[in-house]
Amino acid sequence: MEIVKNLVAAFSLKSEFAARRRKLYRIAYAWSHDAALADDLVQETIYKALKNASKLRDMATIDSWLYRILYNCWQDYLRVKGRHVEFVEMHDENQPGQSDNYQQSQIVKRVRASVEQLPLSLREVVTLADFAGFSYSQIAEITDVPVGTVMSRLFRARQALKQQLLEFGSDELSELKLRRVK
Amino acid sequence: MNIKDITEDRLNLFIDEQLDTDEMNEIREALLEDKQLREQVCQLKAVRELVGYAYSEVPASHQEIKDKKRPSKFVGRAVAASIMLVAGIVLGWSTYEYSPNFAPAISAENTFQYVANHVTTDDRQRKIILHIDSSDLTVVDAALNEADYLLATYRKANKPMKLDIITNKTGIDILRPNISPYINRIQQLVDEEGVELFACIRSIRKAKARDGNEVVFMPGVKSAESAREIIPARLKKGWVYIKA
Repeated sequence: MEIVKNLVAAFSLKSEFAARRRKLYRIAYAWSHDAALADDLVQETIYKALKNASKLRDMATIDSWLYRILYNCWQDYLRVKGRHVEFVEMHDENQPGQSDNYQQSQIVKRVRASVEQLPLSLREVVTLADFAGFSYSQIAEITDVPVGTVMSRLFRARQALKQQLLEFGSDELSELKLRRVK
Repeated sequence: MNIKDITEDRLNLFIDEQLDTDEMNEIREALLEDKQLREQVCQLKAVRELVGYAYSEVPASHQEIKDKKRPSKFVGRAVAASIMLVAGIVLGWSTYEYSPNFAPAISAENTFQYVANHVTTDDRQRKIILHIDSSDLTVVDAALNEADYLLATYRKANKPMKLDIITNKTGIDILRPNISPYINRIQQLVDEEGVELFACIRSIRKAKARDGNEVVFMPGVKSAESAREIIPARLKKGWVYIKA
């Protein structure tokens, strides 16, 4: 009976991980801007999560627990590769399944390019907050830094993005107005 | 809290709702007073939304490619929706506050886009407050034109909408039959569109002290609260705020 119970629990946990896979992948992509690497990081995260499932005491914390593992995998990768400097352009433009419209979206491209220019520590925090929607305390837990550091990184990240995107905003605005007239 | 004390890092915490209730309310009140502050908040919110949407669709993972027999027909729709929303945010930068000097750039369509993207996306009634704090003819004309545009646009789009006009400072004068040239036009909004009118009680007291007479309003004007009380209370309930 105990074996059946454990099997059901393991199956249920696997489903929980699978349900979060896509979002984990997006965050990994936002950090690395590399589809293959993001895929590897998520695979490794799921593997480690399953292996250490017994350490997850409270299902309510599953999200921050999983992202913490993902973050550690990412940091391990950076350490091994010695890549503490910024990535160069690594977009894989011709990935199947990507809409042409999407690829052509100047807005999305510009925002991603701006995020890519941020120092890694700022990029990690701003995507966890503004894309994944984590609270400051959750981000502090995931990235293992004090909440104050999260605040200051998020502030610096948004300041930098604002400076770059504001100019872009006015250009796009004019363009959109012209489109409306047609 | 002095407006000068509200730094950009406080605003950052404000948009993420990381301040305590008192500080949140103080900044909300300051936003009503300061155009530059509103612009800063709007920009920070726009940055936050843009980052969210920039990664809402990313290249498919190998796992997904393996799983997919064929590309989803919903991708295009999701992308179109994302781009429209981002476009709305960009437009929102210009329409967050209605400025008469910027009137030629604002169309009903733009405003509709802004409002549509900042309130619930279901078919529930959109609620908008139009705040008028001046009796300057240019400002009032532009504000009432805005009201007409909004009502017409929502009617055309078959979307329910509730518009209320809140006046304070010299803006209360537009509701005074003995001095306002707009009474008939405003009455029409009340009768035909169900617009409710509010005059700030503090401004009424000041006008009374200044003029030495009782301040008389057109029928239906509510004057029990101050604009500082009404506007933040409405914003908390999800109303969209447009300042004339």
